This record gives sequence, structure tokens and C-alpha cells, in this order.
Amino acid sequence: MSTLSEQIAEVIEKEPVALFMKGTPQMVMCGNSQRALSALHAVGAPITTVDILPDPRIRQELAEISGWPTIPQVFVKGELIGGADITEELLASGDLQRKVDEALGSDRAPDIKVVALELAPA
Amino acid sequence: MEAETIRALLEQAFPNAAELDVEDRTGTGDHFQVTLATAEFDGLSLLDQHRRVNATLAAPLRDGSIHELRISTKGTA
Repeated sequence: MSTLSEQIAEVIEKEPVALFMKGTPQMVMCGNSQRALSALHAVGAPITTVDILPDPRIRQELAEISGWPTIPQVFVKGELIGGADITEELLASGDLQRKVDEALGSDRAPDIKVVALELAPA
Repeated sequence: MEAETIRALLEQAFPNAAELDVEDRTGTGDHFQVTLATAEFDGLSLLDQHRRVNATLAAPLRDGSIHELRISTKGTA
């Protein structure tokens, strides 16, 4: 099994749009995670989510990799876009649509995928 | 944590801010809205502007005194 850090890096690298959030799209556990999710929905992005709540190590490792201390975190094609505030601001300005269109092409299909990380025993 | 404490940290880091406001959104001392405009942010991406604010508040973010931080930043140009 790859390390937690490797699994997180792989999600960031390989998923077109990755959202690290509290909860899942079916059961969002935080208003800010919902804000980021809704903004990504609004631009028709395929979204891959990772729930950071199952283990505090997920959040720690993620912060190490991204240099970003808070949740949620949105990545498009491996690039950190920001948290809920920036994602909403970019939605309002049209930049989120442009960024996602540029990165993924405009004929993409909206989709939701949930990735569960494998955790080694503490 | 008091909004004033956060405000003091930000004032120290951004002494020339054109606009600085810290609001305790819930009245519980752990959900804050920071609004900051400074010429230092001219030409910086939103991501980098937020990184500067996060770095200034790294300690209270790390130890959980700030449970939620909303940030609104801009330059002055």
C-alpha cells in the first residue's frame, strides 16, 4: 500500500478536478466544503472528492503538500486553485469557468467521484 | 480568540493596509471573516494573497483557535 502522502499526491496529480472536503457530496459536513462543491457544480466540472474527516493525518499530509492550511482545497489539473472563498470569487468573475474549460475542454461531462484513501493503522 | 487579536496580527504584518476588517461571524470567537486591501497585493494572484494572510495567522490556524477563516483580499490598484 502506498503511503497516505503518496495517495494524496496521486489524487491531486491524476484527477482533473480534485476537492478535498469535510464529508462527501452526499453528506457534506461543512458549509465551506458545500460552497466549493456548489461552485464546481456550477461550471459543470467533473469532481473527484476526498473526505478528510476519517483521519486527522489526511489533513496534515495534505497541508504539507499544498502549503494551504484550511479545508476545503480545490485542485484543477494538479494546480491548487484555493479554498471556498477563492473558488467562489473565481466563479463570480467567470475565471473558474475559463480555468476549467481550458484545463479540461468544454465538451466534458459533469461527474462526481469519491475517493477513499487507505489508512495504515495509527 | 478575540477578533482584535487577529486584527493586531494582521496590522503588524500589513502596516500599510488601505482596508482591514476582522469580523467574528458567529460571536463564538472561532469563525472569522478577514477583509484586507493593501498595495502589497497589487499584481499578486488571489491564491498568493490568501497565502500571505494564512501565513500571518498560521499559529492560531494550526492550534485550532481559528476554526473557520473566510478571507476577502484585494490590491489597491
